[in-house]
Amino acid sequence: MSQERHVTEDLPAYVLGALEPDERETVAAHLETCRECERDLSQFEEALYEAAAIGAVEVEPPRGLRTRIVLRHRDARVPSTTSWDDRIVAFLRRPLPAALPLALAVLLVVAFVVVGATRQQADSYERALAGVVDGRVVALAPTGVNPNARAAVVIPTQGSAYLVVRIPAPPAGKAWEAWVLRPGASGPTAIPAGIAERGDVFTLPLTVPLSAGDGVAITLEPAVGSAQPTTEPVLVAQRT
Amino acid sequence: MRLVERIASGDADALGELYDRYGRVAFGLVYRMLPSPEAAEEVTQDAFHAVWRQARSYRPERGSVRTWLLAICRNAAIDWRRTRGKRLEREVTIEAAAELLSDARVDERVVSAMRAERIRKIVGELPKEQRDVLALAFWGGYSQSEIAARTGTPLGTVKSRVRLAMNKLRESLEDER
Repeated sequence: MSQERHVTEDLPAYVLGALEPDERETVAAHLETCRECERDLSQFEEALYEAAAIGAVEVEPPRGLRTRIVLRHRDARVPSTTSWDDRIVAFLRRPLPAALPLALAVLLVVAFVVVGATRQQADSYERALAGVVDGRVVALAPTGVNPNARAAVVIPTQGSAYLVVRIPAPPAGKAWEAWVLRPGASGPTAIPAGIAERGDVFTLPLTVPLSAGDGVAITLEPAVGSAQPTTEPVLVAQRT
Repeated sequence: MRLVERIASGDADALGELYDRYGRVAFGLVYRMLPSPEAAEEVTQDAFHAVWRQARSYRPERGSVRTWLLAICRNAAIDWRRTRGKRLEREVTIEAAAELLSDARVDERVVSAMRAERIRKIVGELPKEQRDVLALAFWGGYSQSEIAARTGTPLGTVKSRVRLAMNKLRESLEDER
């Protein structure tokens, strides 16, 4: 049992998905270590979804839906070890890797830039970030797939968020794809948020608005993009 | 071998069997949350793909396959609305989601007729304001703060109604087991 205070009061709203992002994170973190609250969670979920099954509309699903679902997976590969989401979570839970202090160092540099530091930047990536005069900047941590890759999310006070990326050009037929990682009761969901077929230093607008608590990741995908990530992330920010 | 274990091992026919058992209720749940049958079909397909990807992480001790699948479906529907749904369409959906339960007949493979009748009675006995917050949160995907703002009710009152309603639902159904 966790030594922390139980989350009994917030558990019903958590099951309903009706908490604010910060509250949801607190409950999720507690559930990781508390079997007692996890058991309560399970009972709430069972009760709610049993009722929801009665609330569902009685409607005939489209003809052929079953066939399409089965055929889509007939020759598909099941994720070999754990799911992509699990791998992200596992990465984020790792003890501080060597790359993380480096990423934090980048963040520190970025912070100086944002508050108006004027020192010369040796790197064009940092120069690109130096242009950011307004808003927040959150660095993505390299995962080890490409330790030299760098990226940061720029969240302006007005306008859409975008990524500043420093990464080698993708192989032919491939592209870098950005993902917004949206927290959910069964783990983060990756939402496609932009593709770049180029390398070096570039900016990539996020096509999905960021909500509080969202994370961001970048993976290597086919040039046309993927509906779900198919490779290990190159860069990840747990939350922005 | 259990159904989810077969899915986790790459058996696409097992996914079809899961669809045979719960596909209708899964589609019906998503259909109620989304503005069009096309959107519901797309999200149902995505949800079964998520089942395929996440099958290895399913833990039976955490709950039934039905609950696990329906939670995935609901999350997928909420994500669809956040990313692609238009606000107007969402409002229409919310208006249609005034009640937690429907009068529809339920597939016996999902909930037995006696059980469904019992659940309808339990939900029917909840005060209307508690049923409303459950419906707005579950079908509408609204947070407690949004419900408070939307209904002009103090946030503390909304939280209290959510707790009371969910506890009643849980206790009543647990008593039955």
